[in-house]
Amino acid sequence: MESLREEVRAWIAANHPGAPGWKLPQSPLEVAEDRQFDWLRAWQRKLYDAGYVGAEWPREYGGGGRERGAQRVIDHELSRARAPFLLNVVALSWAGPMILRYGTEAQKRRFIQPLLRCDEIWCQGFSEPGAGSDLASLRTTALRTGEGWQIDGHKVWTTLGRYADWCILLARTDPAAVKHAGISYFLAPMKIDGVSVQPLVKMTGEGGFNQVIWGSARIPGDALLGREGQGWELATATLQFERGAAEGSAGGGGGGGEQVERVATLARASGRDTDPVVRDRLAGFWIRETALRANAQRTRIAGLVSDRPEALPLMQKLTGSELTQDLADFACELEGDAAGLWIGDSGAVDNAEWQRTYMNSFAMTIAGGTSEILRNILGERALGLPKTR
Amino acid sequence: MNLHLRYDEEHALLRAEARRWLDERFPISRVRALADGEPGEDPGDWKELAALGWLGLVIPEQHGGAGLGAVHLAVLMEETGRRLLPSPLLPSTLAALALLLDGSDSQRARWLPAIASGEARAVLASGTSVWGAERADALVAPGRAGVDVVETRAPDLRIEPEIVLDRTRRSARVTRMGVALGTAAPSDRLVAWACVALAAEMAGGADALLAMTAAYAATREQFGKPIGSFQAVKHPLVNVLIGVESLRSLVYAAASALDAESADAEALARMAKAHACDVYVFAASRAVQLHGGFGFTLDCDAHLYLKRAQTTRPAFGDAMQQRRWLADRLMARTQA
Repeated sequence: MESLREEVRAWIAANHPGAPGWKLPQSPLEVAEDRQFDWLRAWQRKLYDAGYVGAEWPREYGGGGRERGAQRVIDHELSRARAPFLLNVVALSWAGPMILRYGTEAQKRRFIQPLLRCDEIWCQGFSEPGAGSDLASLRTTALRTGEGWQIDGHKVWTTLGRYADWCILLARTDPAAVKHAGISYFLAPMKIDGVSVQPLVKMTGEGGFNQVIWGSARIPGDALLGREGQGWELATATLQFERGAAEGSAGGGGGGGEQVERVATLARASGRDTDPVVRDRLAGFWIRETALRANAQRTRIAGLVSDRPEALPLMQKLTGSELTQDLADFACELEGDAAGLWIGDSGAVDNAEWQRTYMNSFAMTIAGGTSEILRNILGERALGLPKTR
Repeated sequence: MNLHLRYDEEHALLRAEARRWLDERFPISRVRALADGEPGEDPGDWKELAALGWLGLVIPEQHGGAGLGAVHLAVLMEETGRRLLPSPLLPSTLAALALLLDGSDSQRARWLPAIASGEARAVLASGTSVWGAERADALVAPGRAGVDVVETRAPDLRIEPEIVLDRTRRSARVTRMGVALGTAAPSDRLVAWACVALAAEMAGGADALLAMTAAYAATREQFGKPIGSFQAVKHPLVNVLIGVESLRSLVYAAASALDAESADAEALARMAKAHACDVYVFAASRAVQLHGGFGFTLDCDAHLYLKRAQTTRPAFGDAMQQRRWLADRLMARTQA
């Protein structure tokens, strides 16, 4: 592993693309302009061609076939070097792992390599206007038509929807079945008649978010993943990947890093580093950040998680997203009057990066199970508390 | 900050052995009886602790100990903390560590074998209030250079039992010619080891509180439902869970760093201690609160832990003091 680490470091040093000279989004969730999309797609391709995307995935489908743990080393080095993020996030971290686990041989051969190489972009069609935290109440339907399925419904919060070629889509195939039954999981094409993508604008003014209207859209019969009616089970498995509670991502997982040190530097720059209240809070954040990293390590030590195996994997997104949110808010407060300045103002600190980070952090405390839902799940699975109804 | 957690089969075996012994020897009824009785413990227990190899856990083999490291110590302390072991095993271990890390060769040769065998009891004296002093044969105090070992039979020594909140952990006010013993600052290495031992013990206690409160919330019914089904009860318990799980990770990260002699060991140990102070008191307060009226009584076990948490918090620095030290370290890293 150490030789891999050295190799990746050397590769990044020679291939880091630097800054493009215009505003890059902070994550795949805010990609809204073609030049951003093209630049980021080229970066992921370059990384794939170097063997750093899907490093542990099977060779026969286009992966690198490396030993377990290799991707973590690669992601960590990329994150350390502050390399750009990987664009095709839904594909790499949840659609791809789902296809590898539940897909047919034909589906694996068809989809894996193009998604790793960023030749095909994936989005996720789970949430609906009336089905957020209560996902199983979704109303999008899939009707059997001779050869395939006809999809009708309305999906929201669709990251990368505008650029996506494929969608992991939940739809109701049996309207008579009770709530959680009767849902099926599709690998649905997006660039077909009857699919309309409309942008949604976030509170930062950025796009990247979409809603997708499915109006009598016809998809083929082999678009089904798993069995008809198995959708809820597969949706739950997908959420495990999305929350980082299950391993198997093809890349992009190195994030987090050492943000507190950057905020400490900001405190020094703003002349507030001698204030004991500020210092006390900085130390508190440093402890939380270190605990988050220690939790990630302990997850992999069987003897240290046996008392409560469900806890750490379910905690990771919850604690990580809340730390980012609290830290970004603290950073904004440290900026004093500049806290109110926005992108483009000459007095904005780092072009309002912390303001963006703070506002965008709500995506992570809401998506993939809100913090409130995750607390319910933790209470029930890790502590054995009765279900909340 | 480099993290490399280490934990293997040997550590798991020690944990299983500790759990088995503590379950058998220290059910909560016996802990309560000892807390209500006179200070000191059943001498039979001390012999057993010696026979188990726990009195000499961190003492090198050449001095008659087991020669084990910080991760082993964390395991033992976590398990004894879970059961509120009413025995001066912790201050005795800290005395051994002080001798080991800062003592002279002759002090080590004289005291470490006797501590490991249980033949002589030594406890660490750092500050006026000394845990386990009444039944000790010797007190080990950080000195200006190295450590001072003072035998308790010394004529000029005064040992006055204190009236304490946590009766599972007795302490005494120790003075020599009217002056407190052990007012010199402990060495950095002793602080790091002590913080890991204390934080591990606190993690065990906080975990016991969490398990106890979750079990109660799962069965106690109001409005026709178990109270644990209400989010107003469930979510604070999950916040305790997050605290406890994060604390365990920090404890084992710090212990592993000590064993690896990492330069980050002291910072990690202080993080663990800081977090332990906050988490233990929070877990105890939620335990009392969520047990309702019963939680407020002497019959509920929650207060035993609450008192232990309050008493252990200041040892080797409370959360605020640890964060002050950590902030200095953090700001030093931002120097251009």
